Amino acid sequence: MSEYDLAIIGIGAAAFSAAIKASELTSNQMKIAMIGYGALGGTCVNVGCVPSKYLIEASKSFRNAKKMVYDGMESSVTIDFNEFMESLNKFVETEREEKYTKVLKNFKNIDLYDGKAKFIDKNTVTVNGNKISAFNFIIATGSKTFIPDLKGLVNYYTSDNIWTIRKIPEKLAILGSGEVALELANAFSNFGSEVHIINRSNRLLKGFDDDITNELRNIMAKNGIKFHLGVDIKEIKNNKEKKIIFYNGTEQPIDVDEIIVAMGRQPNIEELCLEKAEVKYNHGILVDSHMKTSCENIYAAGDCVEQELKLETLAGKEGAVAAGNILGSDESINIKEIPWAAFCEPNVASVGYTEKELKLQNRDYIVRKIDLKNVVKANILKSNEGIVKIISDNEKRILGMQIIAPHAAEFIIEGVYLVKHRLTYDDIINTSHIFPTVAESVKIAGQSFIRDISKMSCCME
Amino acid sequence: MTKKVELRVYGMTCDDCVAHVSEGLKGTKGVLDVIVSLKDGKAEVLINDAVNPKELENIEVFKKPSHYKAQVRRVKDE
Repeated sequence: MSEYDLAIIGIGAAAFSAAIKASELTSNQMKIAMIGYGALGGTCVNVGCVPSKYLIEASKSFRNAKKMVYDGMESSVTIDFNEFMESLNKFVETEREEKYTKVLKNFKNIDLYDGKAKFIDKNTVTVNGNKISAFNFIIATGSKTFIPDLKGLVNYYTSDNIWTIRKIPEKLAILGSGEVALELANAFSNFGSEVHIINRSNRLLKGFDDDITNELRNIMAKNGIKFHLGVDIKEIKNNKEKKIIFYNGTEQPIDVDEIIVAMGRQPNIEELCLEKAEVKYNHGILVDSHMKTSCENIYAAGDCVEQELKLETLAGKEGAVAAGNILGSDESINIKEIPWAAFCEPNVASVGYTEKELKLQNRDYIVRKIDLKNVVKANILKSNEGIVKIISDNEKRILGMQIIAPHAAEFIIEGVYLVKHRLTYDDIINTSHIFPTVAESVKIAGQSFIRDISKMSCCME
Repeated sequence: MTKKVELRVYGMTCDDCVAHVSEGLKGTKGVLDVIVSLKDGKAEVLINDAVNPKELENIEVFKKPSHYKAQVRRVKDE
């Protein structure tokens, strides 16, 4: 039997973050087993953030080249989608090699095991029939795509295998209306597909105020994406050419060339035999604020945890926090300080509380919202549809920020600092922002707390 | 009643480290004896009732900015 100081079950973002942090804190003296199967790096680098952002950025580049937005310019552009997707997959391979495979080689204290871990007791797992024991465990097994039980749903893509597609579908249905659905919808729409978003829920995204999601829906609809929300899919009929989706609330079924299922992800915990280690779980593993499970020596981090947000950055943070706490730290995560973004165009990003949450908590707040048309850089980019919404308490402290804007994912970090450090809208106003940038929209939204921004000149302090 | 606590100690690379960790443990109230092994990365600490074994993980020598870390592995009544 192999014995370790720490066994990490998982090979994705949370697992790597935990392994590196534990190694750093112990001068690489902690003997670590990392156990998992599939491609090193887990969801994010292989089938998540990395390929999806590559796809989106390339699709934007294609669309922008095809439809020049400035007067006096014309272009013609073609795409070899097969060649493009080959390049995307090569890019993923390179990133996986650089950020995971090579990184792991720097840590002689970490042994990698290829296989599925199953608990025998709270200090032992089996992997391919071999026993591995450890004094501490971190479970970081991530999540998998949720597939609904729908009659006729047999031939479809998910965010796990869409990277094998080699032809741009003429008509594409995306089942779901969360961030994965919106990002893929945006990308394929940019490539020229007619995209239909279909979902039982009436709303886009979770955790945003309705004014934000309504605005986003309007912008995406103007860009050609068709929404069928609040409907129940009854059946999908498949013939040689098409997939025909029948659902209530419409006169006509939709026939499409391809379907992508993007209805969320669920924790990957079924095969761990958690009962043997007395680790409690519901849909995901239950943890306290220190990422500790119901078993004293077992922690959990990332998408396998019972939590609303499934984010690579959060997974990484949780992995590091779990490793630190195993080694005597007293760290916890304030979920309200974790930013979130979808990379559809325009980006949508948020941090902190929404109005909806504050209302539910009966808390006093002040809200200001500015239209992106007030932002010179957005006008220069000819992408001025969007909103910046800031919520403060009565002492001017920023409680939350939601943005729809080009590059919002890049500058929501300003909101993170404001919320994390309990800063005020005076702090926003008294901080110089570069003009002209889309990020300046945060300053203008801050100024809207104290003055009528329609009476402001450029760079007004 | 005395107890023998086995600590896994991380971060020791030389005899000076051993001396530093030993001194840190010996200077703790309730610690009666200390044997530190560089090779095994372990310390055996004899304590009396005045100290909770778990508290040894957070004594000064194992706190930032020190780079040593410790974790209780076993506690035995002596």
